[in-house]
Formats: sequence, C-alpha cells, structure tokens
Amino acid sequence: MSVSIAKQGYSLGHGHDEDAHEQVIYQETRDMRLLGFVLFLCSDVVLFSAFIFAYIYLRTTVAPSWPPIVGGHQLPRLDTAFAAVNSVVLFGSGVTMHYALENFKHANLRRYNVFMGFTILLGAMFLGGQGYEYAHAQIGGWSGNIFGASFFTLTGMHGFHVFAGVIYLLVLWYQTQRGVYTQERYFGLTAGTLYWHFVDVIWVGLFFLFYLW
Amino acid sequence: MDLAVIEKVVATLGAIVVFVFALIGLRGEWPKNGLDDIVTKLLLGLMAFGCLLVLLATAGLLPRGGA
Repeated sequence: MSVSIAKQGYSLGHGHDEDAHEQVIYQETRDMRLLGFVLFLCSDVVLFSAFIFAYIYLRTTVAPSWPPIVGGHQLPRLDTAFAAVNSVVLFGSGVTMHYALENFKHANLRRYNVFMGFTILLGAMFLGGQGYEYAHAQIGGWSGNIFGASFFTLTGMHGFHVFAGVIYLLVLWYQTQRGVYTQERYFGLTAGTLYWHFVDVIWVGLFFLFYLW
Repeated sequence: MDLAVIEKVVATLGAIVVFVFALIGLRGEWPKNGLDDIVTKLLLGLMAFGCLLVLLATAGLLPRGGA
C-alpha cells in the first residue's frame, strides 16, 4: 500500500491526477475492507455452525424419535410446502440483489432501483412468512421441547439476520439515492450483496435440516 | 385445490425461475477473479443448490420432502 501511495505521491508532485491518487487509496482500502467483511461472514458461519451442530447432536443422540414425543404425543413435522415457497422467496431476493448490483455497476439506475426494491420486498415477505409459520407451527414453544428450542433459536437467529439485512439494504438504497456510491466506488453495495447472499445460503442449510431431514 | 398443492406448484415454478437466473448470474461472474467475485460465485452456486433442494422436495424425491 505504501509503495503505491508513494508512487502516486510522485505523480501528484508533478501537478496532476489527484483523482487517480484518491482512486488508488480507495482501491487499497477497499481490498482491506473487503477482506474484513469476508472474515466477518466467516465468523457468522462459525456462529451458525455451533448451533447447527448442537441441533444435529440433539437430534441424533438425545432424542429417541424425531420429532420428539412430548406429553405422550409425537410432535408433527413442519410444513414443507409452505417453507418451500418461503425459501424460493428468499432465494429470489438473492438473485434480484445480484442483478441490482450488476445494474448499478453498469450505471443502469432505473433497473437498479427496480431490482433493489424487489430485493427488499422479498426479504420483508420472507420475514412475514416466517412470522406466519411461527404463529402456526404446532411444535410447542421455545422452551417446551428440544425441537421447538432448536427451531426457534436457529430460525430466529437467521430471521434476525434477515431483518438486519433488510434495514441494511434500505440504508444502502437511501445512500444510493443520495449519490454516496458511484460506478467506481461502491464497496457498500458489494458488502450488502455478499451479506444478503450469505443470509440466503444459511437458509439453504436450515431448510434442509428442519424441513427435509 | 388443496393449499399444499398450490404451495408446491408456486414453489416449483419459483425455484425453476430463480435457479435459471442464479445460473445466468453465475455465468456472468465466472471470468472474474476478485475476492468478492469468488465469494459471490460460491454463494450463487449454493443458492442454485438450494433451488434444486426445493425442486426435489416439492417433487417428493427426498425421503421426507413431501410431508
């Protein structure tokens, strides 16, 4: 980094290209911020992994049958068909976010707005779907049994990430309207896209564990 | 029509559309080699895998998918 800045300083010393100097500094700090953000996502993977392995352990070694028997009755399985629709909603939002970023890169702001709007809408729809499922799932409460405890803890933690992501995307959208990002400098949007993809991918695992396994 | 059938049809159609657009996005990302591009490729690929899981589940091809 210091070498590049020094080179650029030499260029500045010759009286031109201040923008290029800023661009070099931006590029170098962007790489560091990107690495930091990817490491943050890795730490989140560790967090989810800990809970997922706890769930797998409980399910395979502690409970004699699954869904567990509570009060003499076996709990019902979760509604796979509804969860499949909700999953597609979330995966769809991941794809629209990808295309929002691509359109921003190519300065197609109208399409960017459309895709970003759909991403936020689909994210909110997923949260609504999850709320509906919470209200109708007949697996006991959070503290009633290990199935409910695992389900509400893991999907609740994921739902919180989605909620934070929706807020994050709203902020990014607002910033874009205010001209914070340009076609050369859009790290915030890149980070937002990676975060949203990450949230989608975590759901792939949860969908399999709770609905298909 | 049963609500579960409608949900499965919607999920199937949605998963096909999302899967196709995820693959198109993945194809566009393929030549890029930055860290963010590599992570994006990985995550888009996993998202496409998620769509396949949904398709298999709605088709009843997974052991408990059709429940």
